[in-house]
Amino acid sequence: MKLFRAKETAVSLFYRGGSVVIFVILWQLACSAGLAPETFVASPATILRTLWQYALDGSLYRHSSVSLARAFYGFVLAVAVAVPVGFMLGGWFKNFERAVGPLLAFLGQFNPFALFSVFLLLFGIGEVSKVAMIFWVAVWPILYNASLGVRTVDPLHVKLARSMGMGRVRLLWKIVVPSSASFLFAGLRLSAATAFFMLIPAEMMGASRGLGWLIMNAQVNYQIPKLYTGTLVIVVFGILIDALFRFLERKVVVWKGAGQM
Amino acid sequence: MAVRSDARDAAGKYWLLVLMLAAWELSGRLGLVDQAFVPSLSAALSAVFDMWERTHLFMHVMVSLARVTAGLLAAAAVGVPLAYLLGRTLPGLAERIEALLRVFALINPYCVFPLFVVFFGAGELPKIAVLAWVSLWPVLFGTLAGVRGVDPALIRTARSMAAGSSAVFWKVVLPAASPSVFNGMRTGVGMSFFILIAAEMTGATAGLGWIVHSAGALNQVPRIYGAGLCIVLLGVLLNRSLLFFGNGLFFWWKSGTDPLAGVRTEGAARRLGLRSALAAAALFAVAMGVGAYEIWRAEALLNDPGEMPEYRVWAE
Repeated sequence: MKLFRAKETAVSLFYRGGSVVIFVILWQLACSAGLAPETFVASPATILRTLWQYALDGSLYRHSSVSLARAFYGFVLAVAVAVPVGFMLGGWFKNFERAVGPLLAFLGQFNPFALFSVFLLLFGIGEVSKVAMIFWVAVWPILYNASLGVRTVDPLHVKLARSMGMGRVRLLWKIVVPSSASFLFAGLRLSAATAFFMLIPAEMMGASRGLGWLIMNAQVNYQIPKLYTGTLVIVVFGILIDALFRFLERKVVVWKGAGQM
Repeated sequence: MAVRSDARDAAGKYWLLVLMLAAWELSGRLGLVDQAFVPSLSAALSAVFDMWERTHLFMHVMVSLARVTAGLLAAAAVGVPLAYLLGRTLPGLAERIEALLRVFALINPYCVFPLFVVFFGAGELPKIAVLAWVSLWPVLFGTLAGVRGVDPALIRTARSMAAGSSAVFWKVVLPAASPSVFNGMRTGVGMSFFILIAAEMTGATAGLGWIVHSAGALNQVPRIYGAGLCIVLLGVLLNRSLLFFGNGLFFWWKSGTDPLAGVRTEGAARRLGLRSALAAAALFAVAMGVGAYEIWRAEALLNDPGEMPEYRVWAE
Protein backbone atom coordinates (compact mmCIF):
# COMPACT_ATOMS: atom_id res chain seq x y z
CA MET A 1 0.00 0.00 0.00
CA LYS A 2 2.74 2.37 1.06
CA LEU A 3 4.83 1.35 -1.89
CA PHE A 4 1.92 2.02 -4.18
CA ARG A 5 1.52 5.50 -2.80
CA ALA A 6 5.23 6.23 -3.19
CA LYS A 7 5.00 5.13 -6.80
CA GLU A 8 1.98 7.34 -7.30
CA THR A 9 3.78 10.42 -5.93
CA ALA A 10 6.77 9.67 -8.11
CA VAL A 11 4.54 9.53 -11.17
CA SER A 12 2.72 12.76 -10.28
CA LEU A 13 6.04 14.42 -9.53
CA PHE A 14 7.27 13.38 -12.94
CA TYR A 15 4.13 14.74 -14.54
CA ARG A 16 4.55 18.03 -12.76
CA GLY A 17 8.32 18.37 -12.97
CA GLY A 18 9.00 16.34 -16.09
CA SER A 19 8.39 19.24 -18.44
CA VAL A 20 11.09 21.26 -16.70
CA VAL A 21 13.59 18.42 -17.04
CA ILE A 22 12.73 17.89 -20.69
CA PHE A 23 13.03 21.61 -21.35
CA VAL A 24 16.49 21.72 -19.77
CA ILE A 25 17.61 18.69 -21.81
CA LEU A 26 16.34 20.26 -25.04
CA TRP A 27 18.04 23.52 -24.14
CA GLN A 28 21.34 21.72 -23.53
CA LEU A 29 21.01 19.82 -26.81
CA ALA A 30 20.28 23.01 -28.73
CA CYS A 31 23.35 24.65 -27.23
CA SER A 32 25.58 21.65 -27.87
CA ALA A 33 24.38 21.43 -31.47
CA GLY A 34 25.19 25.11 -31.93
CA LEU A 35 21.59 26.07 -32.68
CA ALA A 36 21.60 28.83 -30.07
CA PRO A 37 24.13 31.66 -30.39
CA GLU A 38 26.59 31.21 -27.55
CA THR A 39 26.99 34.95 -27.05
CA PHE A 40 23.32 35.29 -26.08
CA VAL A 41 22.35 31.94 -24.61
CA ALA A 42 24.30 30.08 -21.98
CA SER A 43 23.87 26.32 -21.91
CA PRO A 44 22.63 24.61 -18.72
CA ALA A 45 26.03 22.96 -18.32
CA THR A 46 27.75 26.35 -18.38
CA ILE A 47 25.24 27.72 -15.90
CA LEU A 48 25.82 24.80 -13.53
CA ARG A 49 29.57 25.19 -13.87
CA THR A 50 29.32 28.90 -13.04
CA LEU A 51 27.04 28.09 -10.14
CA TRP A 52 29.50 25.52 -8.81
CA GLN A 53 32.30 28.05 -9.13
CA TYR A 54 30.24 30.62 -7.20
CA ALA A 55 29.46 28.07 -4.53
CA LEU A 56 33.14 27.19 -4.15
CA ASP A 57 34.49 30.72 -3.88
CA GLY A 58 31.79 31.70 -1.41
CA SER A 59 30.22 34.46 -3.48
CA LEU A 60 26.97 32.53 -3.87
CA TYR A 61 26.58 32.40 -0.12
CA ARG A 62 27.65 36.00 0.36
CA HIS A 63 25.29 37.55 -2.18
CA SER A 64 22.36 35.29 -1.30
CA SER A 65 22.68 35.91 2.42
CA VAL A 66 22.82 39.67 1.92
CA SER A 67 19.75 39.59 -0.34
CA LEU A 68 17.77 37.26 1.89
CA ALA A 69 18.59 39.34 4.96
CA ARG A 70 17.31 42.51 3.26
CA ALA A 71 14.13 40.81 2.12
CA PHE A 72 13.68 39.29 5.57
CA TYR A 73 14.05 42.56 7.47
CA GLY A 74 11.73 44.41 5.10
CA PHE A 75 9.18 41.62 5.34
CA VAL A 76 9.33 41.33 9.14
CA LEU A 77 8.93 45.07 9.54
CA ALA A 78 5.96 44.97 7.16
CA VAL A 79 4.36 42.16 9.19
CA ALA A 80 4.96 44.00 12.44
CA VAL A 81 3.24 47.12 11.12
CA ALA A 82 0.60 45.73 8.79
CA VAL A 83 -0.95 42.99 10.93
CA PRO A 84 -1.98 45.20 13.88
CA VAL A 85 -2.96 48.11 11.64
CA GLY A 86 -4.89 45.82 9.31
CA PHE A 87 -6.76 44.27 12.24
CA MET A 88 -7.61 47.71 13.55
CA LEU A 89 -8.77 49.00 10.17
CA GLY A 90 -10.89 45.91 9.61
CA GLY A 91 -12.34 46.07 13.10
CA TRP A 92 -13.11 49.77 13.25
CA PHE A 93 -14.39 50.70 9.85
CA LYS A 94 -17.78 49.21 9.31
CA ASN A 95 -17.91 50.36 5.70
CA PHE A 96 -14.39 49.05 5.26
CA GLU A 97 -14.46 48.13 1.59
CA ARG A 98 -15.72 51.57 0.71
CA ALA A 99 -13.51 53.76 2.88
CA VAL A 100 -10.28 51.80 3.29
CA GLY A 101 -10.20 50.22 -0.17
CA PRO A 102 -9.66 53.48 -2.12
CA LEU A 103 -7.02 54.61 0.38
CA LEU A 104 -5.08 51.38 0.10
CA ALA A 105 -5.45 51.45 -3.68
CA PHE A 106 -4.00 54.95 -3.78
CA LEU A 107 -1.10 54.19 -1.48
CA GLY A 108 -0.36 50.82 -3.06
CA GLN A 109 -0.16 52.45 -6.46
CA PHE A 110 2.58 54.75 -5.21
CA ASN A 111 5.35 53.12 -7.14
CA PRO A 112 8.37 52.23 -4.97
CA PHE A 113 10.70 53.39 -7.72
CA ALA A 114 9.15 56.81 -7.70
CA LEU A 115 9.90 56.81 -3.99
CA PHE A 116 13.40 55.45 -4.38
CA SER A 117 15.05 58.87 -4.59
CA VAL A 118 13.01 59.99 -1.60
CA PHE A 119 14.06 56.96 0.39
CA LEU A 120 17.65 57.74 -0.54
CA LEU A 121 17.19 61.27 0.77
CA LEU A 122 15.50 60.12 3.95
CA PHE A 123 17.51 57.03 4.81
CA GLY A 124 20.83 57.48 3.06
CA ILE A 125 22.49 55.08 0.66
CA GLY A 126 22.97 52.21 3.10
CA GLU A 127 20.88 49.18 3.92
CA VAL A 128 18.00 51.18 5.38
CA SER A 129 16.79 52.62 2.08
CA LYS A 130 16.62 49.16 0.49
CA VAL A 131 14.85 47.67 3.47
CA ALA A 132 12.45 50.63 3.41
CA MET A 133 11.66 49.98 -0.24
CA ILE A 134 10.96 46.31 0.43
CA PHE A 135 8.88 47.27 3.44
CA TRP A 136 6.83 49.59 1.26
CA VAL A 137 5.90 46.91 -1.28
CA ALA A 138 5.44 44.17 1.33
CA VAL A 139 3.13 46.10 3.59
CA TRP A 140 0.06 46.44 1.29
CA PRO A 141 -0.89 42.82 0.66
CA ILE A 142 -0.70 42.00 4.39
CA LEU A 143 -2.61 45.11 5.36
CA TYR A 144 -5.37 44.41 2.90
CA ASN A 145 -5.70 40.72 3.71
CA ALA A 146 -5.49 41.20 7.48
CA SER A 147 -8.28 43.76 7.43
CA LEU A 148 -10.33 41.65 5.03
CA GLY A 149 -9.83 38.64 7.30
CA VAL A 150 -11.16 40.54 10.31
CA ARG A 151 -14.15 41.69 8.28
CA THR A 152 -15.08 38.12 7.43
CA VAL A 153 -15.10 36.84 11.02
CA ASP A 154 -18.50 35.33 11.64
CA PRO A 155 -20.34 37.79 13.93
CA LEU A 156 -22.18 34.88 15.52
CA HIS A 157 -18.92 33.49 16.85
CA VAL A 158 -18.04 36.86 18.35
CA LYS A 159 -21.49 37.21 19.94
CA LEU A 160 -21.33 33.69 21.31
CA ALA A 161 -17.91 34.27 22.84
CA ARG A 162 -19.04 37.58 24.31
CA SER A 163 -22.13 36.07 25.82
CA MET A 164 -19.96 33.50 27.52
CA GLY A 165 -17.98 36.31 29.09
CA MET A 166 -14.86 36.18 27.02
CA GLY A 167 -12.53 39.15 27.47
CA ARG A 168 -11.18 41.28 24.66
CA VAL A 169 -7.72 39.77 24.54
CA ARG A 170 -8.98 36.22 24.56
CA LEU A 171 -11.60 37.12 21.98
CA LEU A 172 -8.86 38.39 19.68
CA TRP A 173 -6.68 35.39 20.29
CA LYS A 174 -9.34 32.67 20.24
CA ILE A 175 -11.82 33.94 17.65
CA VAL A 176 -10.54 36.74 15.48
CA VAL A 177 -7.03 35.51 14.75
CA PRO A 178 -7.99 31.89 13.93
CA SER A 179 -10.92 33.00 11.76
CA SER A 180 -8.84 35.36 9.71
CA ALA A 181 -5.73 33.18 9.59
CA SER A 182 -6.25 31.85 6.08
CA PHE A 183 -6.63 35.38 4.73
CA LEU A 184 -3.62 36.45 6.73
CA PHE A 185 -1.53 33.65 5.30
CA ALA A 186 -2.58 34.49 1.77
CA GLY A 187 -1.42 38.05 2.44
CA LEU A 188 1.86 36.88 3.96
CA ARG A 189 2.63 34.62 1.03
CA LEU A 190 1.87 37.31 -1.53
CA SER A 191 3.85 39.84 0.40
CA ALA A 192 6.91 37.60 0.81
CA ALA A 193 6.88 36.90 -2.92
CA THR A 194 6.59 40.62 -3.68
CA ALA A 195 9.36 41.46 -1.23
CA PHE A 196 11.77 39.09 -2.90
CA PHE A 197 10.60 40.21 -6.33
CA MET A 198 11.23 43.88 -5.57
CA LEU A 199 14.55 43.20 -3.91
CA ILE A 200 16.24 42.60 -7.25
CA PRO A 201 15.59 46.06 -8.78
CA ALA A 202 16.29 47.70 -5.41
CA GLU A 203 19.70 46.08 -5.41
CA MET A 204 20.25 46.91 -9.05
CA MET A 205 19.86 50.61 -8.39
CA GLY A 206 22.29 51.18 -5.60
CA ALA A 207 24.06 48.29 -3.97
CA SER A 208 27.47 46.70 -4.02
CA ARG A 209 26.38 43.22 -2.96
CA GLY A 210 23.39 40.97 -3.35
CA LEU A 211 21.73 38.99 -6.11
CA GLY A 212 20.39 42.08 -7.87
CA TRP A 213 23.86 43.53 -7.94
CA LEU A 214 25.14 40.24 -9.33
CA ILE A 215 22.71 40.49 -12.25
CA MET A 216 23.53 44.14 -12.81
CA ASN A 217 27.25 43.50 -12.70
CA ALA A 218 26.96 40.59 -15.14
CA GLN A 219 24.97 42.78 -17.52
CA VAL A 220 27.41 45.68 -17.40
CA ASN A 221 30.39 43.39 -17.95
CA TYR A 222 28.52 41.37 -20.56
CA GLN A 223 29.00 38.08 -18.72
CA ILE A 224 26.07 36.12 -20.10
CA PRO A 225 26.64 32.90 -18.09
CA LYS A 226 26.66 34.92 -14.86
CA LEU A 227 23.43 36.60 -15.89
CA TYR A 228 21.71 33.25 -16.39
CA THR A 229 23.17 31.84 -13.19
CA GLY A 230 21.92 34.78 -11.14
CA THR A 231 18.49 34.43 -12.73
CA LEU A 232 18.43 30.72 -11.87
CA VAL A 233 19.36 31.36 -8.24
CA ILE A 234 16.61 33.96 -7.93
CA VAL A 235 14.01 31.62 -9.44
CA VAL A 236 15.02 28.84 -7.04
CA PHE A 237 14.72 31.16 -4.06
CA GLY A 238 11.33 32.31 -5.33
CA ILE A 239 10.10 28.71 -5.49
CA LEU A 240 11.51 27.96 -2.04
CA ILE A 241 9.89 30.99 -0.43
CA ASP A 242 6.53 30.11 -1.95
CA ALA A 243 6.88 26.49 -0.80
CA LEU A 244 7.88 27.58 2.70
CA PHE A 245 4.77 29.71 3.13
CA ARG A 246 2.50 27.02 1.72
CA PHE A 247 4.05 24.54 4.15
CA LEU A 248 3.64 26.92 7.10
CA GLU A 249 0.03 27.56 6.17
CA ARG A 250 -0.71 23.84 6.03
CA LYS A 251 0.94 23.33 9.41
CA VAL A 252 -0.59 26.31 11.19
CA VAL A 253 -4.06 26.60 9.70
CA VAL A 254 -4.98 22.98 10.35
CA TRP A 255 -8.63 23.81 10.98
CA LYS A 256 -9.21 25.20 7.50
CA GLY A 257 -12.08 22.99 6.47
CA ALA A 258 -15.00 22.82 4.14
CA GLY A 259 -16.88 25.73 5.66
CA GLN A 260 -14.14 28.28 5.18
CA MET A 261 -12.54 29.52 2.06
CA MET B 1 -32.28 62.58 -5.96
CA ALA B 2 -29.90 60.25 -7.74
CA VAL B 3 -27.22 62.92 -7.79
CA ARG B 4 -27.54 63.37 -4.06
CA SER B 5 -27.23 59.68 -3.29
CA ASP B 6 -24.28 59.49 -5.66
CA ALA B 7 -22.61 62.30 -3.77
CA ARG B 8 -23.22 60.56 -0.47
CA ASP B 9 -21.89 57.37 -1.96
CA ALA B 10 -18.69 59.10 -3.05
CA ALA B 11 -18.31 60.76 0.35
CA GLY B 12 -18.60 57.40 2.07
CA LYS B 13 -16.02 55.96 -0.26
CA TYR B 14 -13.37 58.62 -0.31
CA TRP B 15 -13.43 60.40 3.04
CA LEU B 16 -10.49 58.44 4.40
CA LEU B 17 -8.43 59.18 1.30
CA VAL B 18 -9.29 62.87 1.50
CA LEU B 19 -8.43 62.86 5.18
CA MET B 20 -5.02 61.39 4.42
CA LEU B 21 -4.34 63.93 1.66
CA ALA B 22 -5.31 66.74 4.05
CA ALA B 23 -2.98 65.31 6.69
CA TRP B 24 -0.18 65.26 4.11
CA GLU B 25 -0.78 68.91 3.24
CA LEU B 26 -1.09 70.04 6.86
CA SER B 27 1.97 68.17 8.12
CA GLY B 28 4.04 70.08 5.60
CA ARG B 29 2.40 73.40 6.40
CA LEU B 30 2.73 73.01 10.15
CA GLY B 31 6.38 72.02 9.85
CA LEU B 32 5.88 68.51 11.24
CA VAL B 33 7.99 67.09 8.43
CA ASP B 34 10.88 68.64 6.58
CA GLN B 35 9.56 70.17 3.36
CA ALA B 36 12.89 69.49 1.68
CA PHE B 37 12.18 65.75 1.93
CA VAL B 38 8.41 65.62 1.98
CA PRO B 39 6.96 68.59 0.14
CA SER B 40 3.30 69.25 0.83
CA LEU B 41 0.56 68.14 -1.54
CA SER B 42 0.16 71.65 -2.95
CA ALA B 43 3.88 71.81 -3.77
CA ALA B 44 3.65 68.45 -5.55
CA LEU B 45 0.59 69.60 -7.51
CA SER B 46 2.24 72.86 -8.53
CA ALA B 47 5.22 70.81 -9.69
CA VAL B 48 2.79 68.84 -11.86
CA PHE B 49 1.44 72.04 -13.43
CA ASP B 50 4.93 73.37 -13.90
CA MET B 51 6.03 70.20 -15.66
CA TRP B 52 2.90 70.29 -17.82
CA GLU B 53 3.70 73.81 -18.98
CA ARG B 54 7.45 73.72 -19.27
CA THR B 55 8.81 70.21 -19.59
CA HIS B 56 6.35 68.32 -21.79
CA LEU B 57 4.58 66.31 -19.10
CA PHE B 58 1.87 65.29 -21.58
CA MET B 59 4.48 63.81 -23.86
CA HIS B 60 5.98 61.74 -21.06
CA VAL B 61 2.57 60.48 -19.93
CA MET B 62 1.64 59.45 -23.46
CA VAL B 63 5.00 57.74 -23.98
CA SER B 64 4.52 55.65 -20.83
CA LEU B 65 0.92 54.85 -21.74
CA ALA B 66 1.87 53.77 -25.25
CA ARG B 67 4.57 51.46 -23.90
CA VAL B 68 2.19 49.75 -21.49
CA THR B 69 -0.49 49.40 -24.17
CA ALA B 70 1.94 47.99 -26.71
CA GLY B 71 3.26 45.50 -24.17
CA LEU B 72 -0.24 44.40 -23.21
CA LEU B 73 -1.33 44.01 -26.83
CA ALA B 74 1.73 41.92 -27.60
CA ALA B 75 1.11 39.75 -24.52
CA ALA B 76 -2.55 39.28 -25.50
CA ALA B 77 -1.65 38.48 -29.09
CA VAL B 78 0.69 35.71 -27.95
CA GLY B 79 -0.89 34.58 -24.69
CA VAL B 80 -4.56 34.26 -25.59
CA PRO B 81 -4.20 32.03 -28.68
CA LEU B 82 -1.47 30.00 -27.01
CA ALA B 83 -3.54 29.41 -23.89
CA TYR B 84 -6.60 28.60 -25.98
CA LEU B 85 -4.58 26.06 -27.94
CA LEU B 86 -3.21 24.53 -24.74
CA GLY B 87 -6.48 24.55 -22.87
CA ARG B 88 -8.85 23.33 -25.59
CA THR B 89 -6.87 21.45 -28.19
CA LEU B 90 -4.05 19.98 -26.15
CA PRO B 91 -5.29 19.76 -22.55
CA GLY B 92 -2.98 16.83 -21.78
CA LEU B 93 0.07 18.77 -22.87
CA ALA B 94 -1.12 21.80 -20.91
CA GLU B 95 -1.29 19.75 -17.74
CA ARG B 96 2.20 18.40 -18.27
CA ILE B 97 3.93 21.67 -19.09
CA GLU B 98 2.16 23.78 -16.50
CA ALA B 99 5.07 23.43 -14.06
CA LEU B 100 7.43 24.72 -16.72
CA LEU B 101 5.17 27.70 -17.39
CA ARG B 102 5.00 28.44 -13.65
CA VAL B 103 8.79 28.45 -13.50
CA PHE B 104 8.91 30.85 -16.45
CA ALA B 105 6.43 33.11 -14.71
CA LEU B 106 8.69 33.20 -11.67
CA ILE B 107 11.62 34.56 -13.66
CA ASN B 108 12.16 38.07 -12.46
CA PRO B 109 11.57 40.61 -15.26
CA TYR B 110 14.53 42.61 -14.06
CA CYS B 111 16.71 39.61 -14.85
CA VAL B 112 15.11 39.32 -18.27
CA PHE B 113 15.50 42.98 -19.11
CA PRO B 114 19.30 42.88 -19.61
CA LEU B 115 18.82 39.84 -21.84
CA PHE B 116 16.22 41.65 -23.90
CA VAL B 117 18.61 44.57 -24.27
CA VAL B 118 21.16 42.10 -25.59
CA PHE B 119 18.61 40.59 -27.96
CA PHE B 120 16.78 43.67 -29.18
CA GLY B 121 19.36 46.41 -28.72
CA ALA B 122 18.63 49.74 -27.07
CA GLY B 123 15.50 51.71 -27.90
CA GLU B 124 11.82 50.94 -27.48
CA LEU B 125 11.82 47.26 -28.31
CA PRO B 126 13.41 45.81 -25.13
CA LYS B 127 11.16 47.94 -22.92
CA ILE B 128 8.02 46.83 -24.71
CA ALA B 129 9.31 43.26 -24.72
CA VAL B 130 9.84 43.24 -20.96
CA LEU B 131 6.37 44.71 -20.41
CA ALA B 132 4.95 42.04 -22.72
CA TRP B 133 6.85 39.38 -20.76
CA VAL B 134 5.39 40.64 -17.50
CA SER B 135 1.80 40.74 -18.78
CA LEU B 136 2.12 37.49 -20.71
CA TRP B 137 1.88 35.23 -17.64
CA PRO B 138 -1.26 36.63 -16.05
CA VAL B 139 -2.92 36.71 -19.49
CA LEU B 140 -1.82 33.15 -20.25
CA PHE B 141 -2.90 31.70 -16.91
CA GLY B 142 -6.10 33.73 -16.92
CA THR B 143 -7.05 32.45 -20.37
CA LEU B 144 -6.09 28.91 -19.44
CA ALA B 145 -8.26 29.05 -16.32
CA GLY B 146 -11.10 30.58 -18.33
CA VAL B 147 -10.97 28.00 -21.10
CA ARG B 148 -10.71 25.14 -18.61
CA GLY B 149 -13.54 26.50 -16.53
CA VAL B 150 -16.09 26.41 -19.33
CA ASP B 151 -18.91 24.16 -18.19
CA PRO B 152 -18.65 21.00 -20.34
CA ALA B 153 -22.41 20.62 -20.18
CA LEU B 154 -22.76 23.91 -22.07
CA ILE B 155 -20.47 22.66 -24.82
CA ARG B 156 -22.28 19.33 -25.01
CA THR B 157 -25.62 21.06 -25.18
CA ALA B 158 -24.42 23.27 -28.01
CA ARG B 159 -22.97 20.25 -29.80
CA SER B 160 -26.18 18.28 -29.43
CA MET B 161 -27.97 21.14 -31.11
CA ALA B 162 -25.67 20.68 -34.07
CA ALA B 163 -23.47 23.69 -33.43
CA GLY B 164 -20.25 23.50 -35.42
CA SER B 165 -16.86 23.97 -33.80
CA SER B 166 -16.69 27.63 -34.83
CA ALA B 167 -20.14 28.26 -33.40
CA VAL B 168 -19.12 26.53 -30.18
CA PHE B 169 -16.08 28.78 -30.02
CA TRP B 170 -17.89 32.05 -30.72
CA LYS B 171 -21.09 31.37 -28.83
CA VAL B 172 -19.98 29.28 -25.85
CA VAL B 173 -16.25 29.14 -25.14
CA LEU B 174 -15.37 32.74 -25.87
CA PRO B 175 -18.17 34.33 -23.80
CA ALA B 176 -17.56 31.91 -20.93
CA ALA B 177 -13.80 32.43 -20.87
CA SER B 178 -13.56 36.14 -21.63
CA PRO B 179 -14.06 37.49 -18.09
CA SER B 180 -11.15 35.40 -16.91
CA VAL B 181 -9.04 36.54 -19.87
CA PHE B 182 -9.94 40.08 -19.06
CA ASN B 183 -8.98 39.67 -15.40
CA GLY B 184 -5.63 38.34 -16.50
CA MET B 185 -5.14 41.40 -18.67
CA ARG B 186 -5.99 43.69 -15.78
CA THR B 187 -3.42 42.00 -13.55
CA GLY B 188 -0.96 42.30 -16.42
CA VAL B 189 -1.56 46.03 -16.75
CA GLY B 190 -1.04 46.53 -13.04
CA MET B 191 2.23 44.63 -13.04
CA SER B 192 3.57 46.20 -16.19
CA PHE B 193 2.92 49.62 -14.72
CA PHE B 194 5.07 48.60 -11.79
CA ILE B 195 7.88 47.45 -14.05
CA LEU B 196 7.58 50.29 -16.53
CA ILE B 197 8.83 52.92 -14.12
CA ALA B 198 11.94 50.89 -13.31
CA ALA B 199 12.58 50.14 -16.99
CA GLU B 200 12.28 53.81 -17.84
CA MET B 201 14.58 54.76 -15.00
CA THR B 202 17.44 52.58 -16.16
CA GLY B 203 17.60 53.30 -19.83
CA ALA B 204 15.13 55.75 -21.32
CA THR B 205 15.02 59.33 -22.44
CA ALA B 206 11.30 59.90 -21.96
CA GLY B 207 8.40 58.70 -19.87
CA LEU B 208 7.26 59.09 -16.29
CA GLY B 209 10.05 56.88 -14.97
CA TRP B 210 12.54 59.10 -16.70
CA ILE B 211 11.05 62.17 -15.00
CA VAL B 212 11.43 60.49 -11.61
CA HIS B 213 14.98 59.52 -12.41
CA SER B 214 16.10 62.90 -13.68
CA ALA B 215 14.30 64.77 -10.90
CA GLY B 216 16.04 62.50 -8.40
CA ALA B 217 19.41 63.14 -9.98
CA LEU B 218 18.81 66.89 -10.02
CA ASN B 219 17.40 66.89 -6.49
CA GLN B 220 14.05 68.35 -7.57
CA VAL B 221 12.06 66.73 -4.79
CA PRO B 222 8.61 68.25 -5.55
CA ARG B 223 8.92 66.91 -9.09
CA ILE B 224 9.52 63.39 -7.78
CA TYR B 225 6.29 63.59 -5.82
CA GLY B 226 4.51 65.23 -8.75
CA ALA B 227 5.58 62.45 -11.09
CA GLY B 228 4.59 59.93 -8.41
CA LEU B 229 1.11 61.46 -8.30
CA CYS B 230 0.87 61.24 -12.08
CA ILE B 231 1.85 57.56 -11.95
CA VAL B 232 -0.78 56.85 -9.30
CA LEU B 233 -3.45 58.73 -11.26
CA LEU B 234 -2.60 57.02 -14.53
CA GLY B 235 -2.58 53.61 -12.85
CA VAL B 236 -5.94 54.17 -11.17
CA LEU B 237 -7.46 55.58 -14.37
CA LEU B 238 -6.26 52.66 -16.44
CA ASN B 239 -7.58 50.16 -13.90
CA ARG B 240 -10.90 51.94 -13.64
CA SER B 241 -11.46 52.22 -17.36
CA LEU B 242 -10.63 48.54 -17.83
CA LEU B 243 -13.05 47.69 -15.04
CA PHE B 244 -15.72 49.87 -16.61
CA PHE B 245 -15.40 48.18 -19.99
CA GLY B 246 -15.16 44.78 -18.37
CA ASN B 247 -18.35 45.29 -16.40
CA GLY B 248 -20.14 46.56 -19.47
CA LEU B 249 -18.97 43.91 -21.89
CA PHE B 250 -19.20 40.93 -19.56
CA PHE B 251 -22.48 41.79 -17.93
CA TRP B 252 -22.89 38.15 -16.91
CA TRP B 253 -19.81 38.54 -14.73
CA LYS B 254 -19.97 36.84 -11.37
CA SER B 255 -20.60 39.35 -8.66
CA GLY B 256 -17.94 40.08 -6.12
CA THR B 257 -15.62 42.79 -5.00
CA ASP B 258 -12.48 43.75 -6.73
CA PRO B 259 -9.55 43.56 -4.34
CA LEU B 260 -7.72 46.84 -3.71
CA ALA B 261 -9.74 48.90 -6.17
CA GLY B 262 -12.54 49.07 -3.65
CA VAL B 263 -15.06 48.83 -6.43
CA ARG B 264 -18.14 46.72 -6.21
CA THR B 265 -18.57 44.71 -9.34
CA GLU B 266 -21.86 43.24 -8.25
CA GLY B 267 -25.02 44.56 -9.86
CA ALA B 268 -23.35 44.90 -13.23
CA ALA B 269 -23.05 48.33 -14.75
CA ARG B 270 -24.75 49.48 -17.89
CA ARG B 271 -24.45 46.92 -20.60
CA LEU B 272 -22.18 47.96 -23.41
CA GLY B 273 -22.87 46.85 -26.92
CA LEU B 274 -20.59 46.14 -29.83
CA ARG B 275 -20.57 49.79 -30.78
CA SER B 276 -19.17 50.85 -27.43
CA ALA B 277 -16.55 48.15 -27.63
CA LEU B 278 -15.52 49.45 -31.04
CA ALA B 279 -15.41 52.98 -29.66
CA ALA B 280 -13.15 51.80 -26.85
CA ALA B 281 -10.90 50.05 -29.35
CA ALA B 282 -10.75 53.25 -31.41
CA LEU B 283 -9.85 55.20 -28.28
CA PHE B 284 -7.02 52.76 -27.59
CA ALA B 285 -5.82 53.06 -31.17
CA VAL B 286 -5.80 56.86 -30.94
CA ALA B 287 -3.89 56.70 -27.65
CA MET B 288 -1.37 54.38 -29.27
CA GLY B 289 -1.01 56.68 -32.25
CA VAL B 290 -0.50 59.75 -30.10
CA GLY B 291 1.95 57.78 -27.96
CA ALA B 292 3.96 56.67 -30.97
CA TYR B 293 4.05 60.26 -32.20
CA GLU B 294 5.20 61.45 -28.77
CA ILE B 295 7.94 58.82 -28.65
CA TRP B 296 9.14 60.11 -32.00
CA ARG B 297 8.90 63.69 -30.69
CA ALA B 298 10.90 62.78 -27.59
CA GLU B 299 13.64 61.45 -29.84
CA ALA B 300 13.57 64.66 -31.85
CA LEU B 301 13.71 66.78 -28.70
CA LEU B 302 16.68 64.79 -27.51
CA ASN B 303 18.59 65.86 -30.59
CA ASP B 304 17.59 69.48 -30.07
CA PRO B 305 19.64 70.61 -27.08
CA GLY B 306 18.03 74.04 -26.96
CA GLU B 307 14.65 72.52 -26.15
CA MET B 308 15.03 70.77 -22.83
CA PRO B 309 17.63 71.79 -20.32
CA GLU B 310 17.13 68.53 -18.38
CA TYR B 311 18.19 66.51 -21.36
CA ARG B 312 21.38 68.46 -21.69
CA VAL B 313 22.20 68.04 -18.03
CA TRP B 314 21.88 64.30 -18.49
CA ALA B 315 23.85 64.12 -21.67
CA GLU B 316 26.82 65.90 -20.21
